[in-house]
Formats: sequence, C-alpha cells, structure tokens
Amino acid sequence: MATLERMDWYDLARTTNWTPKYVTEDELFPPQMSGTFGIPLEKWESYDEPFKQSYPEYVKVQREKDAGAYSVKAALERSKMFENSDPGWKSVLKAHYGAIARQEYQASQAEARMARFGKAPGQRNMATLGMMDEIRHGQIQLFFPHEHVSKDRQFDWAHKAMDTNEWAAIAARHMFDDIFAARNATEIGLMLTFAFETGFTNMQFLGLAADAAEAGDWTFSSLISSIQTDESRHAQIGGPLIPILVANGKKEEAQKMIDVALWRSWKLFSVLTGPMMDYYTPLEHRKQSFKEFMQEWIVTQFERALLDLGLEKPWYWEQLLDEIDWQHHGMHLGVWFWRPTVWWDPAAGASPEERAWLEEKYPGWNDTWGQCWDVITKNVLDGNMAQTYPETLPVVCNMCQLPVNATPGNGWRVRDYPHEHNGRVYHFCSEGCKWVFQQDPARYEGHLSLVDRFLAGQIQPMDLGGALKYMNLAPGEIGDDAHKYAWAEGFRERMKKAS
Amino acid sequence: MSNTEVLKPLKTWSHLASRRRKPSEYEIVSTNLHISTRPGAEPFELDPNVFINRWYKEKRDASPLKHPDWNAFRDPDELIYRTYNMMQDGAETYVMGLFDQFNEREHDKGLSPNWAGTLARLYTPGRYLFHTLQMCSAYLAQMSPASTISICAAFQGADSLRWLSHTAYRAKELSQTFPDKGFGANERKYWEEDAAWQGMRELMEKVLTAYDWGECFVALELVAKPAIEEAVLRKLGEAARHNGDTLLGLVIDAELADGVRHRRWASALVKLACDAPGNAEAIKGWIAKWEPLADRAIDSFCAALPDVADAAESAKQATRAFRRSLIGL
Ligand SMILES: [Fe+2]
Ligand SMILES: [Fe+2]
Repeated sequence: MATLERMDWYDLARTTNWTPKYVTEDELFPPQMSGTFGIPLEKWESYDEPFKQSYPEYVKVQREKDAGAYSVKAALERSKMFENSDPGWKSVLKAHYGAIARQEYQASQAEARMARFGKAPGQRNMATLGMMDEIRHGQIQLFFPHEHVSKDRQFDWAHKAMDTNEWAAIAARHMFDDIFAARNATEIGLMLTFAFETGFTNMQFLGLAADAAEAGDWTFSSLISSIQTDESRHAQIGGPLIPILVANGKKEEAQKMIDVALWRSWKLFSVLTGPMMDYYTPLEHRKQSFKEFMQEWIVTQFERALLDLGLEKPWYWEQLLDEIDWQHHGMHLGVWFWRPTVWWDPAAGASPEERAWLEEKYPGWNDTWGQCWDVITKNVLDGNMAQTYPETLPVVCNMCQLPVNATPGNGWRVRDYPHEHNGRVYHFCSEGCKWVFQQDPARYEGHLSLVDRFLAGQIQPMDLGGALKYMNLAPGEIGDDAHKYAWAEGFRERMKKAS
Repeated sequence: MSNTEVLKPLKTWSHLASRRRKPSEYEIVSTNLHISTRPGAEPFELDPNVFINRWYKEKRDASPLKHPDWNAFRDPDELIYRTYNMMQDGAETYVMGLFDQFNEREHDKGLSPNWAGTLARLYTPGRYLFHTLQMCSAYLAQMSPASTISICAAFQGADSLRWLSHTAYRAKELSQTFPDKGFGANERKYWEEDAAWQGMRELMEKVLTAYDWGECFVALELVAKPAIEEAVLRKLGEAARHNGDTLLGLVIDAELADGVRHRRWASALVKLACDAPGNAEAIKGWIAKWEPLADRAIDSFCAALPDVADAAESAKQATRAFRRSLIGL
C-alpha cells in the first residue's frame, strides 16, 4: 500500500490538547462554556469516540449520501406523488419541517460550541463533523419542502415557524434551547447527542421513515433515513464523556443532565410525533403505534444504553411509562381543537376504523378520549361548527409550554403542579416538568409562557384573533381539519339510529 | 377576520418573496436561519439573564461591529453543504493521490536528514496551530449574527481540520523513514517550547479568547489567518521546494486554495460591514491592535526557516497587501 490506513494517523489528528501559556486554561475554556465541572484539561484526553471518521472519508461519504438523497427527489419531482398523497400525510410533512429544519441548523451552532469549547480533542474533531452534519440537515430539509411552497402556503412555515410566536414554535424553542442551543460543551454532548439523538431522533427519523415508505413517499423516506446515518455517528459524541465525568466524581451531574434532556424531549415528542404517528399518518400506512415506537426506541434501547454506561434509569421512569399510554392523545385533541393556531391541518384520525385501531393499540381509548371525540363528532354532524373551536387559550405548562391535560373519563386526574418561587406561581403539567424547573430555577424563572404574555397584556386584542396575530398566523396558512371533516360521516348512520 | 385577505402561496419563502430575482439554491437553504436573532426577543427562549443569554447579548449583539441587516451577507462562492463536499472530496482525492504517488516513488527517502529535522520542528507541529484555527472558526460559526456568515465560518473550520489531517498524516508517514526525528511524538514539545512557534502560539491563544464576535472576525480573518497562511504555509512551502520536498510544496498549494476562498468571504463581509457607519473605524482599530502580535509571530517563525530570503518581510508585506485590498476600509 502506498497510502496509510486511517488508523495509522487518526490518533495524531486528535492529539491536539496543549497547555495554554499566554492565557489561562479558564480563559481558553471558560467553565460555563466548556462545562468543565472542575475537571482539568488532561483528564479529558482519555476521550475515545466509538465512531471514527477522518476528514477525507467524511467528504467522500457525505458527497455520496447527498447524491443519493437529491437524486431520489429529482427523479420523483414530476411523479405527482405529493399531490396524490393523503392530506394527513401532508400535515406530517408540514409539522415536521416547520419544527425540525431550522432547529437542525441551530444544532450546528451547538456542535460548534463543542468544537470550540470541548476539552476533549476527540470531541472537538467529531463535533466539527457534527457541525457540518447539522448544516446539511438544516439545508436539505429546507430545500425539499421549498419545492411545495408554490402549491401550499403552509409550507412557508418550514422556514418561517421558528421566527414566530406560534405556540408550538415557542415550545420547540424553549425545549431545544434548553437541551442544546443554550448549553455548554459537556451538556450538549450529554443532552443533545446522547439523550436526544440516540433516543428521540432515532424514533422520529427511523419511525417516520418507515411510515413514509409505507405511504409511498420515497423522497421523504430516503431523505430522513439518510439524515439518520449522520445522526448515528455524531450521536456518539456524548457517550465517551460519561466515563470521564463518572471517574471524576460527577456521576450525579451526568445523570441529571440526561434526566432533564430526556424528560423535555418526551414532552415535545408527545405533541409533535405522537399525533403524526397515531392520527395523521393514514391508517393503512401506520407501521407501528407511537407507543410501540416509544417502547422500542426509548424504553428498551435507551434504557439499555444508559445502564451500559453505568448510569441509572431516570427517577421518573414509571411516570414516563404511564404517560406513553395517554399523553399524546391529549396533545392531539388539543392541537386539533386549537387547529387555527397551527401551521398544518391536523387530521382528526377519528373515523370509525381509526378509532377501532386506537382502541386496539390503547385499550380504553373509546371510554376516555373517545368520549371527547363523540362530542366533537356530534357537533360536526349537527353543523355546530362554532362549538368545535376554542374561544380561549389553554393553560400551558411553564416548562414544556404545552397545554396541561390529562386522560378524561372516570379516572380523571387533575393535572396541575403549581410551584411558588420568588413570589411567582408557576404551573406545571407534571412532576417531571416541575422537577426540571427546581433543578435550576434561575435558568427558567424570568421566562413568560404564552398564557403569561396574554395575562400581561402583550397579546392584543385579548381574543383568538389577537392571539393569531401574535402568532403570525393569517387566513391562508392557519390550520383546519385535514380531511374537511369527512371522517365524521362514518358516524352519521349510527347517530341517526341513536336519536 | 372576515375582511382579512387570505394569503396565497408564494414562489419562495416569504422572507425572500418581495425581491424580483428568483432565489438561488444557496439563498433558499442558507439565508435567515439563525433562531437566536429574532428582533426584540432574547437570544434563547429562557430566563433573560441566564449565562448564555448574557454571553450572546454582550459578545454578539453589543459588539462594536454593527449592521442593520447582517442577513444581507452572501458568500461570494455561494457554497452550500452539498457543493462543499463535492469540491473538497475532489480536493482530497487530489491530495491523497499525491501522497500515494510520492510514496510509490519513495519521495521521503530522497529528503536530507537535515530537512527532515526542519519538518519535525517547523511542519508537523503545525497541527496544533491548525487546530486553533479549527476551534476559532467554530467560535465564529456559533457567534456570527447571520447564518450566511456562520456557514462560511463552519466550512472554514472543516477546512482547518483538513489541514490538520494532512499534517498528522505526514507526521506518521515521515516517522517511518526518519524514526529518530521525533515525528508523531515531539510536536507538542515544539509547539509549547520552541521559539519558532511561540509567536504563533501567543497570537492564537489570544485570538481564541477575543470573544467579541466582531473582534474575533477581524483578528482571525484579517490578521491571524493571513499571517499563518503567508508564513507557516507559503514560506514553508518555498523552503520545501528549495529542499527537494516537492510533495510539501504541492500539499501547501492545495491548502492555500482553501485560504484564498476564506479571504473571499472575509472580504465580502468587510465590504458589507463598511456600509454602516463606525464599522470601518472599529475594524481598523482591531487591525492596529492585533497586527503587532501577528508580525512578531511571522518574525519568530520565519527566523527559523532555512533557505528563504526575506521570508518574514515578504510574508508581512503579503498580509498588508491583502488588507489593502479590502474594499470599504
Ligand atoms: Fe441533525
Ligand atoms: Fe410540562
């Protein structure tokens, strides 16, 4: 061989720590940007990333991946696949791109923070590639939906959503800022790459890719599976930090970062991915239920990854397992009811056949969530449309920024976890969200939820119209039922008989 | 809401739609991507006084370098991720081809032990220097006020890893022909102790801690990188050619092509910045502050370089020629 193998020189390329002389170590690596935890530079040098890739390999492999994803798109551009796809599926795409594309770009900033402030040289190199990956994910997930902007104004939100005060955008910003954009290099490693990317992006990208393939959307399927191959490399940036933290007596801190990130990710996914998988994806294309995906990717795989690294299951594990059964049904009901406040058209997913599927996947659904949908269905069939719309804003949680809700019916649990701090009462949807706040109140205390802003008079006029204006939502882009309420027709006969 | 108009689909993103020109792929995927620069909002959707909000407000938003619309910045190369990889995969195939051919011809065996010693002292320790460029570019990538700027800085960070990788590769390869020169072993010692490197080390340690984004941009792009490119790349390349090290000369040429591209975006940003009052003065002030340190770095490095006449003087002149070429200053 006339050229060296990668591993002949790879270690040299990540032997780059030096002792600063003209500035102090803390000036070069400010503890609050680096996440030093009092651990000196040389202790971080044992960092060993499991997924190794060199620069020349990177540009080659990534060039090939892009060639693949862009050529699938080009080949299918004239296929009318998009035009012919189910309106529920279009809603999946709109919600996904709006919530994800620019947050992926923002993740490149967090990767850049690790590339600059990480104290482990291997982490800095891997994060340099991660920074590139996330630029890819931002750019490609803007390029693909841009194809549709001239057909449907809601696709403008693939770019626009994160500039607005739309409530789901506020929730997404609060969560993503908290787990990566506003964190230090060590926290980003643990919270973004380990907790979020090994757990949740797997589910979003592989789960949705499976549904997309079932739905015949090869463009989206190949796009997001291609993205996932990058994630599975840079998601491994965080893991090797854990033994370093544990060896230096910081196990508790490591555990806490992961517990915070996992809880926060769960809440956002319950409003974003849950409805997509169990309600928007056409019934015949649903590969698994959201709960099944959660059980596979989070409960089983993530739990194993945690234990393998010598950490524990989060303290709230039982609550999480409980919420997996119901939380996203409530989120879905809320999103559908407040549908003018989102940039996609929520699919009700409540036809007789879909309800039978829900009952099978979530025994007891008909007796609980089904009761609410019965009322909505009756109003739709009776033409009482006004009663299927909200007049006010829901109570939202001061942590996840999402509507506080719980399973209706006999087992109804009042869900409010108030907490007083410095004379202000905060409302939380769950013990988990309240616990996150208590870990670091200064981090969250001055933030106003949408409802807090409403009560403070920042939203004028103080009605739904004023709220929509505040959220940058105008007719032509505000959400409505994806199927123009056709799903309710299946109940008309039944309802006639009953009356 | 009955008299409100109903929004119609547009041909592109609403933020680009008012312009006449059809947006390029570059503009569709690169413009206005920052979330942390929403007008009137905190950088991050958390408590306004949390550490990282203060950091961004102080070091980015309150920088002396100010412009009403940083999002107007465009990379003159219109590079996007997809095209960056096409370009750099080609460039790496070329460099790997050089490594392959020169190895085949036993290039290193033809180098004098003396020159090998120079390489161990003045070439392979450069990976530490290139790594500081990688880190500093990553800082600019996270602190710049517009995504079009951040993306240029991020690509530059990846290019710095490229230079570092070539240097690590050669350190290993040279160690096989010259096992007694300390290749792959003594680089850190040279970087931390040899007089030739101390100017560069001091320069970059200090540039890395210039946390105001505007000052970081000026110190890195207009002062430090030109100094490094002219001395540690170009002048070392000249010395290499003189000493029969054709390979190093060619590898450095390939790296300098990245450097030329970096100067293109930096020049375009200076031009945009100088549209707004006060910025030219701020930039000049920072150049005046950092130039002496960069000159000393060039002096100490070039003093150790064999066989290049007037190396330091000509490198310093070249950095000034670049700065004189900047429109708006
Ligand atoms: Fe990503
Ligand atoms: Fe919550």
